[in-house]
Amino acid sequence: MGKVEIRDSVLHQLASNYKPIVGNGFPEFRKESLRELEETPFPNPKDEAWRFIDLRPLNREPFLPVNESDPAEAGDVEKYFIPESESTRLVFVNGLFQKSLSSIEGLPDGVVIGNLADHAGHSAVVKHLGRLINYEKDPFTLLNNLSFEDGSFVYLPEDSAVESPIQLLQIYTDASEDYFTAPRVLVVAEPNSRATLIEDHIGLAENRYLTIPVSEFRLYEGAHLHHVRIQRDSLSAFHFSRPIAWLSRHAEYHAYTITLGGQMTRNEPRVIQDDEEVDFTLDGLVLIDGNQVSDTHSVMDHKYSHANSHQLHKVVVKGHAHSIFNGKIFVRKDAQKIDSFQENRNLLLSVEGLVHTKPQLEIFADDVLCSHGATIGQLDPEEVFYLQSRGMTAEKAKEVLTYAFALETIENVTVESVHDLLLDEVKRYTKGISIERMTA
Amino acid sequence: MLEIKNLHAVVEGEGSEILKGVNLKVKSGEIHVIMGPNGSGKSTLAKVVSGHHDYEVTDGEILFEGEDLTELDPDERAHLGIFLAFQYPVEVPGVTNNTLLRESYNTIAAARGREELDPLEFDDYLEKKLALVEMKREFLERSVNTGFSGGEKKRNEIFQMAVLEPKLSLLDETDSGLDIDALRIVAEGIKQLHNEENAIVMVTHYQRMLNYIEPDFVHVMVGGKIVKSGDKSLALQLEDKGYEWLESLATVNGESE
Repeated sequence: MGKVEIRDSVLHQLASNYKPIVGNGFPEFRKESLRELEETPFPNPKDEAWRFIDLRPLNREPFLPVNESDPAEAGDVEKYFIPESESTRLVFVNGLFQKSLSSIEGLPDGVVIGNLADHAGHSAVVKHLGRLINYEKDPFTLLNNLSFEDGSFVYLPEDSAVESPIQLLQIYTDASEDYFTAPRVLVVAEPNSRATLIEDHIGLAENRYLTIPVSEFRLYEGAHLHHVRIQRDSLSAFHFSRPIAWLSRHAEYHAYTITLGGQMTRNEPRVIQDDEEVDFTLDGLVLIDGNQVSDTHSVMDHKYSHANSHQLHKVVVKGHAHSIFNGKIFVRKDAQKIDSFQENRNLLLSVEGLVHTKPQLEIFADDVLCSHGATIGQLDPEEVFYLQSRGMTAEKAKEVLTYAFALETIENVTVESVHDLLLDEVKRYTKGISIERMTA
Repeated sequence: MLEIKNLHAVVEGEGSEILKGVNLKVKSGEIHVIMGPNGSGKSTLAKVVSGHHDYEVTDGEILFEGEDLTELDPDERAHLGIFLAFQYPVEVPGVTNNTLLRESYNTIAAARGREELDPLEFDDYLEKKLALVEMKREFLERSVNTGFSGGEKKRNEIFQMAVLEPKLSLLDETDSGLDIDALRIVAEGIKQLHNEENAIVMVTHYQRMLNYIEPDFVHVMVGGKIVKSGDKSLALQLEDKGYEWLESLATVNGESE
């Protein structure tokens, strides 16, 4: 890969567009982020963290801010609304908040579900926005810091519960020029509050765009958050996401990320334990084909005793697609009685597909139970034969087995319409299996 | 119904010959038992007839109702009415018994010109079949063989056989790994499923299944071919004397090593 000078990278080029808004508006940290970004180089392919992903396609053509890209109308997006979230829905189109498409009604006292710009003065926004990010020398996060103009804000006061799932819809439309968006999410859950967040990124066309969503989650004592993240971007899109959660005592954070779209996806979820006795999940399902690249670099940081953590990352690769997984589990000194499970299972359905996997345990305590593992395999020919002997064609048998492989993550999504839509997505993917490419 | 003529088969890609000239004729309404020591090729025979891709037929014919099977895929053979009860039934996590059976039943029904059943009709149909192997309804919603005990897996095979109503059932060591109650249930199930329109070929190590099911023929396989055939008394003889006295028969033609 040719060396990309700081000034040449698409990220640094973009940054110059946002200089004028630095110092203007709520986040004081914009100025700091600009200064940092100017000193932070674009990722070097020699860095261990960027070794397997080829970022050249990202730098091939520049991106423009959305308002300079002549974006198309979103048209009918109602079909993406889930019925369970009729009065708990936030809609963004190309990163811009859509008040008329959103619907927030009848919330419990003190609960806020809204856009960040309208709640810039909220004490939780003032206190937390930009403070929960913990990514070292990461130009992507810095660019988001510098450029986001709005975002989603959820505030759950002590003992509050939002029963309906909160739908956070990110729609990306076609445009004359390649554009860039910086979606931003802040969720602050006070003690013993709970909610479910359904975050859905949908590309309406096949255009090239760059989205860098940064999400901050602060869960105080006993707060529970279920977080489903669906990524069905345009197949020419670049999606670099950084969701990070901080957990206080007895907090529970369960995240399920389903990656279907995008030309290139780099997801870097992090969960940081901030006190004893927490429980968290960081499961993933990746279904990719063609020339898609999906890269997950996760961190589960156990800093205090008594934590349960679970990460099952399942991947199906077809065509020339490429999956990368690096899951870091830290167990810090004195963090005892940690029960952590991590597994990356890859189903490689084509000869040309590629999988890199690196589960990584770094344990500095002694009384812990950590298991981790990775498998890369094809469909078991014996399973295919079994189903064939029951009358299914080889094609159908492979479809059924791939579907079954993918199902495990989805089963944990309890919102019915989301569960169903994910089943449909999995079916759509498995039906596309091209037999001549199958190796099983 | 089934006629196997001078069947030779090798392990695909390896070339070592497992079947070395098997001849067997099975008519409607008959029950055949194939016995033999480990490695004699009896399980391979069942797999080759059902189309397992690990084996390649190098010579001979497998005629089913006059049609040569050797070039057909396993699913095409299933559509003709051939069923293999696996020695080691495969676990298929994520696919329920119900889903598998309805898919199988309707695919085979379509191929054989029978009427497909809608989910409700199929439910009723399954209900009757469950009783045959003494299985509970909940069983239908479990993933195929996933977490099943050895006995449950074997019962599930016979349940599938009951649902799919094959013409020819090949039972590969269905009796092994069963406790006495499970053995009785499985054997009674097989007995009830047997009629004048279908045929059963059982591959087994043991005589004990034959306490429940009376075969018309017992064959002994040694060294990749059938070396002796007889009635059920042959099974008792084998129980007594073992296979040694038959092993010389495998080399009579000078073909075996």
